[in-house]
Amino acid sequence: MKILIHDLDDSVAEGLLKDNKEFDLVISDDGTIKACIGCFACWIKNPGLCILKDSYSDTGAKLSKCDDLIIISRSYYGGYSPFVKNVLDRGISYVHPYFVIRNGQMHHKRRYKNRIGLQVGFYGSDITEEEKATAEKLVRANSINYDGYVKDISFAKDPTEIFKSFKIAKNV
Amino acid sequence: MKGRLYMKIGLINGSPKQRNSVSETIISQLKGRIEKGNQLIELHFRTNRLSDQSIGQLASCDCLVFAFPLYVDGIPSHLLACLRQLEDYFSKEAKKELRVYCLVNCGFYEGEQTAIAQDIMKNWCKRATLSWGQGIGIGSGGMVQSVANAGDDFRLKRNFARALDMVSKNILSLSEAENVYINFNFPRLLYKLCGEMGWRKQIINEGLKVKDLNRRIDLGDSKG
Repeated sequence: MKILIHDLDDSVAEGLLKDNKEFDLVISDDGTIKACIGCFACWIKNPGLCILKDSYSDTGAKLSKCDDLIIISRSYYGGYSPFVKNVLDRGISYVHPYFVIRNGQMHHKRRYKNRIGLQVGFYGSDITEEEKATAEKLVRANSINYDGYVKDISFAKDPTEIFKSFKIAKNV
Repeated sequence: MKGRLYMKIGLINGSPKQRNSVSETIISQLKGRIEKGNQLIELHFRTNRLSDQSIGQLASCDCLVFAFPLYVDGIPSHLLACLRQLEDYFSKEAKKELRVYCLVNCGFYEGEQTAIAQDIMKNWCKRATLSWGQGIGIGSGGMVQSVANAGDDFRLKRNFARALDMVSKNILSLSEAENVYINFNFPRLLYKLCGEMGWRKQIINEGLKVKDLNRRIDLGDSKG
């Protein structure tokens, strides 16, 4: 399954994703997302699902069906925007609470069998070289924790350029 | 930037957990080392929006000390939203120089895994026109609360206590220093096994079975 997580305004997203046949699932901001509260219920009370009641409580389970994860996010200091980061935080149940040693360091054990290929595009009018370096390290670290792999990391001034560079969506 | 005799130090708990978080424990361990002769302003960023009062309190400080857990290799999303708000404020308002220190804890054994979160905070400082002081990455964070009440000379606590001593000295002199990453003086394999025991105990306390830790959710073919 191909999943897109993005933080684009409705007007921009509508244009870029019109008649979308590229993505099986698009996760965007519907205004209901709650921040993770660090309760660990998704590991020990209701394993695999977040107990917070909004549209994002099954994000971990959705990631379990994912082969290609495309993230389009405004760069915030070389990381994801608060909404995108919120989605990823709520998806912590995708991994198991136990640790394993991977690449010589401790990481979360897999809960599921799928392998996620991560493609991340950061946009912003003035992303600095330090922020780009941080963003690349962040995406690589995420892929290791997911026990997945990095397909692409790119930077652009606006999201339309990222859609073009990833060759996704037909109407750009 | 030089330390002052009487300083206002902002202590910010950035943990999403409302109570009894590791970040809260780290702040309480730090306080005793920096409170003498200084005023500590303690805030807990619980939501993704700060009040004008909170921002005003932070702006009146000589330095800010953040403590938060590593989340998906980065910063918890609600804290990130608050940082954006602070960037807007600090980059536009005239203010005195502010030094920033970060204590990031993670459950992974290696404190180095907090390095990316420290870089994000450093990049934020640049955008917010604040001065980066130092980052401390605390690995094997599952042990923080276990040793909190022990003396600083307790063997298992020593690395943690020394890191707090070092960053306290830098906070009090408003010095800049290289980031430091620590883990507790405890074998990695044993830490892993103790962690697993802890999760098994917790899930049983919730009335579930140990095998439920491995639960997989099948959403079927639904796509959203």
